[in-house]
Amino acid sequence: MRRPRDWNRVISAVMLLAVLAVGIPWLWHEYQTRPPWWDPVQHQIIHVGLKETLRMAAISALGASVIGLVLGTLFTIRFRPSRILIRVYIEIWRGLPIVVTIFLIYFAFPRLDETIPHLPNINSLAAFQAATIGLILWGSAQVAEATRGAVQSIRKEQHEAAAALGFGWVGRQVYVILPQAARRLLPPLVGLLVNIIQNTTIAGLIGVGDVLEVANRSTDRLLFLTGSSNALAIYTYVMAVFFAISFPLTRLAAYLEKRFAA
Amino acid sequence: MSLLASFDWGTIWDNRGLLSEGLWRTIQVSAIGIVGATVIGIVLGAVRANRIPVLTQLAATYVEVIRNTPILVQIYLLFYGLPLLSPHLTFTGFTTAWLAVTIWGGAFNTENFRAGFEAVPYRYREAGLALGFSSLATFFRVTLPLGGRIALPSTTNTYVSVLKNTSLMTAIGFQELTTTSRSISASNFRDVEMLTTVGVAYLVLAWSLSGGMRLLERRLSFEDAG
Repeated sequence: MRRPRDWNRVISAVMLLAVLAVGIPWLWHEYQTRPPWWDPVQHQIIHVGLKETLRMAAISALGASVIGLVLGTLFTIRFRPSRILIRVYIEIWRGLPIVVTIFLIYFAFPRLDETIPHLPNINSLAAFQAATIGLILWGSAQVAEATRGAVQSIRKEQHEAAAALGFGWVGRQVYVILPQAARRLLPPLVGLLVNIIQNTTIAGLIGVGDVLEVANRSTDRLLFLTGSSNALAIYTYVMAVFFAISFPLTRLAAYLEKRFAA
Repeated sequence: MSLLASFDWGTIWDNRGLLSEGLWRTIQVSAIGIVGATVIGIVLGAVRANRIPVLTQLAATYVEVIRNTPILVQIYLLFYGLPLLSPHLTFTGFTTAWLAVTIWGGAFNTENFRAGFEAVPYRYREAGLALGFSSLATFFRVTLPLGGRIALPSTTNTYVSVLKNTSLMTAIGFQELTTTSRSISASNFRDVEMLTTVGVAYLVLAWSLSGGMRLLERRLSFEDAG
């Protein structure tokens, strides 16, 4: 049976045009008549906060991908002790809320030398480092889990054929298995990048000056100086900033998933 | 000498009252969030899967906005932003907490259920309609039972995330588990003990939730029924 014709494309287009027709002039007007405090706040969010957010996201995404790929590949070796260790690593860092992980690293880890005797003195970490390590622990657990699935989806014959050609274990993984697994891995890796960018906001809770924390401080300052925090406008702007970064990436992930699905 | 010689177990015991209150609030907020996210997910998932004009576009906008912005910003917007829109929209910590995780989980669940409902072969729905079921009855008797089972594994991930996201309420000072532990260690400096306790509690909660969901999945699966 032929399905009824879908008018939704037309409706989507009309709705989008309507929103743009009303929204763009309204935004333009709002921007033209913006209050004097807006420009410095926007400047802080973009030039200070966003820079910090992207720096942390880049380091975390890189670290998480490398550690996760290695752990996920190692997991496929049939050696009980290493499998158990990696499984425990994955379950713990995936199970803990990221805030708690970051708090553990920032507040509890430097105090371990008070709890465990004979431990050398531990220096406290900078907030940026602590938050980045927390994101890497969480992200690498996610990547390891995805890698395990992707590597195990490659058929056994591929391993055997590569072995027959004289590749060692490392060569087999690097030249034969991972390139094939990469097709399956790419969409979740892009998804992870989006999640990491969004989760950098948690770093603000220990004082890292990311986009959200900078916006936060602006609302505090405005409340003190002008009597109104203007939180609605500022947080909506922060949402728009994150949306502008994340939306293209989630579309990319969806496209890659469809492209490599075959 | 024991390895954890100065790990102060006593401080955990002394604060058991506060900690269990925090734990209880975490469980309450998570439970409301999970139920709310399921309701939103099923309704909007059906709207998306059936491409109901206008509503499907609105649902898609909701999903994309929530999925592409950090939940922490959403929490701040709810808690600090909305009161500026109207004083009636001033929420307590508890309301903000369950509202935030429900809205967040609902968006992810809409996608989970949409995928589940779309995976139900069209001919099954045709069969339902041919048997004289109304389209609503077909949804409840055919699409939901089948699609819901398909969606179950991905909803489990969403529910665990809802649980973990309740810990972000520490940003607005709502005294759930994480905030409670921070308040306690602010006065006794027992960060290691408090955060370890809380960490273990979250792991137990998250693992039991996903374990329970896996059990449910097995109970409901058709392969094991025979």
